[in-house]
Amino acid sequence: MISSLLRSLWLVFRHLFRRNVTVQYPDEQPYLPPRYRGRIVLTRDPDGDERCVACNLCAVACPPDCISLQKTEDEDGRWRPEFFRINFSRCIMCGLCEDACPTYAIQLTPDFEMSEYDRQNMVYEKEDLLINGPGKYHEYSFYRVAGKAIAGKGKGQGLNEKKPVDLHDLNL
Amino acid sequence: MAKVTITIDDREYEVDEGQNLLHACLGLKKNLPYFCWHPAMGSVGACRQCAVIEYMARDDTRGRLIISCMTPVRDGGVYSLEDERAQSFRAGIIEKMMVNHPHDCPVCEEGGECHLQDMTLMSAHTMRRYSGRKRTFNNQNLGPFINHEMNRCITCYRCVRYYQDYAGGRDLQALGRNQQVYFGRAEDGRLENGFSGNLVEVCPTGVFTDKTFSRRFVRKWDLQTAPSVCEHCGVGCNTAPGARDDGKGDPRKLRRVVNLYHRDINGYFLCDRGRFGYEYANSPERILQPLQADTQPLIQSTAAAGEKIHRPLPPQDAVAQLADIIEEARLGKRRLLGIGSTRTSLENNYALKTLVGPANFYAGVSAGTLQLLHLVNAIQQDPQIHSPSTPEIEQADAVLILGEDISNTAPRIALAVRQAAAEQQRQRARALDIPLWQDASVRQLDSPPTPIFIAAVEGTDLDGIARETVYATPDEIAELALEVVNQLPGAVTESQTEASDSLATQIARALASARKPLIVCGCGLQSPALLRAAAALAKALAANPVNSEGTASCALYLACADANSLGLTQLCSEQQHLEQLLSETAQENSLPSTLLAMEVDLFWQLPDEQAARILHGNQLIQLDSLYNHTSRFAQLLLPSAATPESEGTFVNSSGLAQRYYTVYEPSGYIQESWRWLANATAACAARAGGVEKIPALADMAQWQHVTQVSAAMAAGIPQLSPLSELGPDWNTLVAGAPVARQSHRFSGRTALQAEVAVAEQPPPRDPDAPMAFSMEGIQFAGYSPLQANIWAPGWNSDQAIHKFQNQPGGERAPAASGQSLRRATKVFEIQVTDTGVPKTPVNADLLTTLPLYRLFGSGELSRRARSIATVVGQAFVHLHPDDARALALCAGEQVCLPGSDTTFEVKITAVAPQRCIGISAGYSSPQAVVAMSPQDIRPFVENPQGNSS
Repeated sequence: MISSLLRSLWLVFRHLFRRNVTVQYPDEQPYLPPRYRGRIVLTRDPDGDERCVACNLCAVACPPDCISLQKTEDEDGRWRPEFFRINFSRCIMCGLCEDACPTYAIQLTPDFEMSEYDRQNMVYEKEDLLINGPGKYHEYSFYRVAGKAIAGKGKGQGLNEKKPVDLHDLNL
Repeated sequence: MAKVTITIDDREYEVDEGQNLLHACLGLKKNLPYFCWHPAMGSVGACRQCAVIEYMARDDTRGRLIISCMTPVRDGGVYSLEDERAQSFRAGIIEKMMVNHPHDCPVCEEGGECHLQDMTLMSAHTMRRYSGRKRTFNNQNLGPFINHEMNRCITCYRCVRYYQDYAGGRDLQALGRNQQVYFGRAEDGRLENGFSGNLVEVCPTGVFTDKTFSRRFVRKWDLQTAPSVCEHCGVGCNTAPGARDDGKGDPRKLRRVVNLYHRDINGYFLCDRGRFGYEYANSPERILQPLQADTQPLIQSTAAAGEKIHRPLPPQDAVAQLADIIEEARLGKRRLLGIGSTRTSLENNYALKTLVGPANFYAGVSAGTLQLLHLVNAIQQDPQIHSPSTPEIEQADAVLILGEDISNTAPRIALAVRQAAAEQQRQRARALDIPLWQDASVRQLDSPPTPIFIAAVEGTDLDGIARETVYATPDEIAELALEVVNQLPGAVTESQTEASDSLATQIARALASARKPLIVCGCGLQSPALLRAAAALAKALAANPVNSEGTASCALYLACADANSLGLTQLCSEQQHLEQLLSETAQENSLPSTLLAMEVDLFWQLPDEQAARILHGNQLIQLDSLYNHTSRFAQLLLPSAATPESEGTFVNSSGLAQRYYTVYEPSGYIQESWRWLANATAACAARAGGVEKIPALADMAQWQHVTQVSAAMAAGIPQLSPLSELGPDWNTLVAGAPVARQSHRFSGRTALQAEVAVAEQPPPRDPDAPMAFSMEGIQFAGYSPLQANIWAPGWNSDQAIHKFQNQPGGERAPAASGQSLRRATKVFEIQVTDTGVPKTPVNADLLTTLPLYRLFGSGELSRRARSIATVVGQAFVHLHPDDARALALCAGEQVCLPGSDTTFEVKITAVAPQRCIGISAGYSSPQAVVAMSPQDIRPFVENPQGNSS
């Protein structure tokens, strides 16, 4: 009993001579690794187009159901979100949306400084979420591998695709 | 049915004899992957996905792979689904199918309800090994309803088997060969068949998807749904509309409609009007709030006399205005006349009838239509006649269609009749001991097709399966039916021997020798004589000792126009029609009159001139969902809920009362018509100082739930007493939990409304049914008949329906919906004189007018759906070439008809009776005359007034 007490006192005393681990935040910023799960962004593919195809997988994976979006299809044949909303006042930064995203559109970033005085300001729309780069995945472009034709990429022009079958060809 | 004992993975089961092993496994709620098999279309063994191991006996350890959908269950059979060899075989099959499948799921409308996704997971194929290049196809534009994405095809052949073999379509084929089979049309264009929408559900992957849904797409798991009944015709198909709020008050909440299985009505399929007609509920012409006629005089306008311009009105003021009028009527200072509707629920009609009093309640249909409906009602009460269910129609072995163009007025019935065409083949298959699910074997049996006879006023979609088709006027068709009665064996006539090969004789012979003959008729041609003749024939057949397997009743399907035509008939006598209302209002009366028109467009029901006369000089209050021609004259407009926004009861053409449930809370101030009326009555009661002061309306003033209205009706009207057993069953609550309208994966709960207000609001409560507008509640397959989200673990697509059935293709578990009306049995007296049909006096110079119906265009609500509106086309008249020559009209010419502002396009067709003019129904107000003089058909002249102004 006494020995454990003394041991604790000794440990605390020893720490007087240790280097301080507390960082003088916000003057001093801690290092956060690139895969830290912080504020969510929507990224763009290498060509600068929105990566999000409004497939709704992030929304359904989200445990607190704080993602909501509406699919729309543009003239160029691409699916895009008409709106994309994350209610960060509900978000638990679990990263399941990023896991679910089939196009690397939604990514978590090492930024956690999102405090607001008004909860309503925690609701981020697409304009607030969209960044001007590809995030952690530089090369991936979903429509290059998808079979769906879009403006500038017809049938058979995707990665690993044969030319479209010509039904009028005698050598089928 | 005899039972056999089989062993599956060391467990013994008793299953029905004669079915295939896949069917039996699914019936036992086992998860066995399949693609090409379909419960309504049988097996062809094309995809090899349902392979299992069959052992010779219990001690056999080797066994062999069999394709379960092609193997009948064997008594004492020993099978294994879980054997490793079977599993790896199935994984291999799916791997091959996925070789060319594109990386599309995120941008595919099928994703999340895709049978291919489900089966891939079920077969445990997770990693793509093939690194070669994928085959691709170009897509086709298949019109405004169906999207085509051929890359996704796995060549299961379900689409062509459905489209060609089941629905009788000709313009979708399997083209190409080998690895390059292409399912499409010869060229771009709308799929012609009226049941093409089912391809969306039949295709196990995303080749055919719903284009109307894609415009405002969400995943299946994000839709909230409830059991509903289609409002676009009288068949009463069950539907599962899907809705989703966008969180910002967009009233376009309804996203799509899919089939909801009901064995006795729609089975697995819907028609395109029912599937794509839902868009009317999202129309910009919806009335979203109460509107009041502007009192400011119009300075200059092109409006007709009495037309009004409306401005919004707070709902409490609207209720107060309505209460004022009810108050005046109650005190005898005003006449209040109610006009009920065939397209709204029994509850709404009953509320209106209660409010205005039985004497002041009128059916919102013409005298002719109401007479027909009462005739249908009377005929169906005859003990010798019964209204067949869809499976009964499909099994008819001789069919006579009398005048009714069912492909356009009761489409789902036409699809059932098409199945009857193969009944002779099926009978032969039974005789040869070939199981009926052996689709290809049954189909190639050499047997004469079922005798189907069609008497019609124009070429119909069913002509291709008919043995004989005759084009005639309604009176001639009625005469034909009576002639058939005379030709039946046992009929006491002398004419039987002579002209033995006349059409009537042929029909009589076919019907008399059939065990399950079917007569189809309906109200479409507006001919009471035709209905009577059909009834006479059915009764004669019922009396015929050979037929009907001793049941002494004959199947007679009578098609009514609207979802609740027969329901409204129960609420009013034969005299309470619009013409009666017209003569009533035309009489000199010191009291001012107010018309309360509920969900009825008078200009749809009556010729323009008559409708205008009804409205002339009377105040009009209208309750409706869409702004229509009648609305222009309304003093007060109240927004009514569309069918998927409300709960109520429809009575279908067979006399089956079915309840539909609220799928979503409507936007704005929309509510059910009966709620507006009850609110106004309650306001009235509050002014009078309590409900006891207005005894006649005391009950109504206290109505809170639609079930109270149903209960009042069930207590008051004997034939509607089954409404009390119709549900909803509040005992389905488990530990207080209702049935969830939303799936357990419903997303965006805390984000959807966040743009407007970040604090979440509680979901609205449903006062009328044990169902929640949220994801909280019962989700289990087959637990409650109220569950319309067809989903089971591992089965995200609509194929999960077998988990909701007693067995595949069987009745919905735990119970099928609907209760037949309890109508008194009464022999229908046929008043047919020896001279046959009482002839309409026909002047040889006149052309008889015939209404012609179209799937897209003749539906009052569906024709205003956005996508359907693009294919409705122009109003038209049909003429026989001889008549067209006599009138000097060419095809494509524009003509005007008397009493109508519409211009009609002339179409000339030889498949039409002579001395007739067929007029497109629903494209203009109905014609006032049954026959018109050729001089009345005037060529259309552009701007007859000239351009001087």
